[in-house]
Amino acid sequence: LVENPAPAGFRLSWRALPLKIVVTVKLVPDTNADKRIDPGTKRLVRTGVETVLNAFDEYAIEAALQLKEKLNDGSTVTVVSMVPESGKEIVRKALAMGADAAVMLSDPGFAGTDVWGTAYALAAGIRKTGFDIVFTGTQSTDAATGEVPGALSEYLGVPGVTNAKKVEYADGKIRATRETDTGYQIVTAPLPLLVSITKSGAEPRYPSLKGIMGAKKKTITVLHLTDLELAKPVGTDGAKVELTELTAPPVRGKGKVVTAADAADGAKQIVDFLKERKLL
Amino acid sequence: MKNVIAFIEHKNGQARRVSLEAAAAARAIADKLGGTAHAVIVGGDAAAIAEQVRAYPVDTIHILADATTDKLIDPAVDALASVAQAAGPSLILVGNTMIGRDVGSRFAARVDAGLNADVIEVAVDGGKVSCVSPKLGGLTITTCVFKSDYGVAAIRPNVFAATQGGGQAEIVEIAPSGKTYTVVVEEEVDEAAAELGVEEASVVVSGGRGVGGPEPFKAMLKDLADAFGGAVGASRAAVDAGWISHAHQVGQTGKTISPQLYFAVGISGAIQHKVGMRTSDTIVAINKDGGVPIGEFADLLVVGDAFEIVPELAKQVRDAKAVHA
Repeated sequence: LVENPAPAGFRLSWRALPLKIVVTVKLVPDTNADKRIDPGTKRLVRTGVETVLNAFDEYAIEAALQLKEKLNDGSTVTVVSMVPESGKEIVRKALAMGADAAVMLSDPGFAGTDVWGTAYALAAGIRKTGFDIVFTGTQSTDAATGEVPGALSEYLGVPGVTNAKKVEYADGKIRATRETDTGYQIVTAPLPLLVSITKSGAEPRYPSLKGIMGAKKKTITVLHLTDLELAKPVGTDGAKVELTELTAPPVRGKGKVVTAADAADGAKQIVDFLKERKLL
Repeated sequence: MKNVIAFIEHKNGQARRVSLEAAAAARAIADKLGGTAHAVIVGGDAAAIAEQVRAYPVDTIHILADATTDKLIDPAVDALASVAQAAGPSLILVGNTMIGRDVGSRFAARVDAGLNADVIEVAVDGGKVSCVSPKLGGLTITTCVFKSDYGVAAIRPNVFAATQGGGQAEIVEIAPSGKTYTVVVEEEVDEAAAELGVEEASVVVSGGRGVGGPEPFKAMLKDLADAFGGAVGASRAAVDAGWISHAHQVGQTGKTISPQLYFAVGISGAIQHKVGMRTSDTIVAINKDGGVPIGEFADLLVVGDAFEIVPELAKQVRDAKAVHA
């Protein structure tokens, strides 16, 4: 799209051009693991904690694959991830689910990259890949800032439709159902654009045996920092925020445990407790 | 950075509470920086919202009242950017909400600003601004200092005090960007169980696997939440079972909240859920099993039948409130 703009007013051209669909993914520590911080190094203890695809990103992959399958016109899904080269096998899971190719932004120089730098570098990688529509998860399950999609859409120079749970596409436009704090919205937007997918999206598929075998033959391109030709530095030096202190949260101790004799007694014990705490 | 700008979210003609907290915080931080405090309001109701914000001690309220309410966030980002660029290097406060994060992050990319999410404290030291945020679901608390000219802090609702004062703010209009916005909001629907989002409610009543189905979320839990003017939340198990929508989910793959009072009804308190609510001021759990993990960190665990206790509790809470009224 960016390279081949459709002639104005010629709507059918959208059907004629296959879409370049991009999905961003992040590798995170397993959500179900009881994570802890090493008191000495103040870093997350990674021993025994499995690295997995960010759960939200699996929903984004599913949305991308469903769009590709519905179009069935040669449209492709490419996964883009900022990840050390050691994460290749986990990126391959996205290929096993059905993505066509993957691009890994891997470089020791990315160490210490903040939210700003992540969005900035991802945008460069996605531009190099080419895109008509970019799907992201709404947030990661580790840092959970939920701020990469917004910044990424700005750096890509396209509108962003965040927190989508359903996305339909026709005639160069998407129609998305967006989750809000209190319900939902229906929004429409023309391509090119970015859509972030929430966990209410369609349930992600499991890779099939055929998919797993096929993924081994798919291309994974590795882009290093120099390949991205960034105008501004990323990594620790380019970060716009610097971590100065890590502290342990206050420990929440065991409170009172009481048994309710009946409904009125259980309710009264709670009401008394709330009054004691001046919450009633 | 010297000045502080609060981005004001609003709905149905009312400024959101977290935005008023941002306006009050803007004043306090600007005083430490020796700068000025601003508020930015975009949308059809901007002038009316400005009157509400005026009760808070900002110096200038910037409004853009053209009919851009059906265009998602882009008009707001443009308006915020024009105010920020005129103000010079500044700290922008947004709510750590769906809209606040979207507006803040998109704005940050435009001016290469540093971003801090889920901020519970802002400190100023020698003209440098740093933000304190719980990370990894409250496992650790980080302090991050801004190195950029502009910074964006998404503040956690219910943490900063919405202290009123001032009332002298000058209201100025923002010049429209003149851009054409292509994203159109065609329909907006509020679902019955969710008049208030869990992120900004000061009381949250959450249900888990133990409530057994979708009905209690609409009736029993909703009724207790209503008695407090609070919101209904849910555990992952309840959301995955399809009993309530994901917007209500509290936990690692949902929202991280810190209300004054959190009720966990029929929720075991697995780590997935714990990280989303452990920074609540007070946690009350109701469970038929006295050995559930939530007993290890709830302030009060009542062992009993939630289906009997919760309706009775809603009644007693209403009675207690009526005495004060």
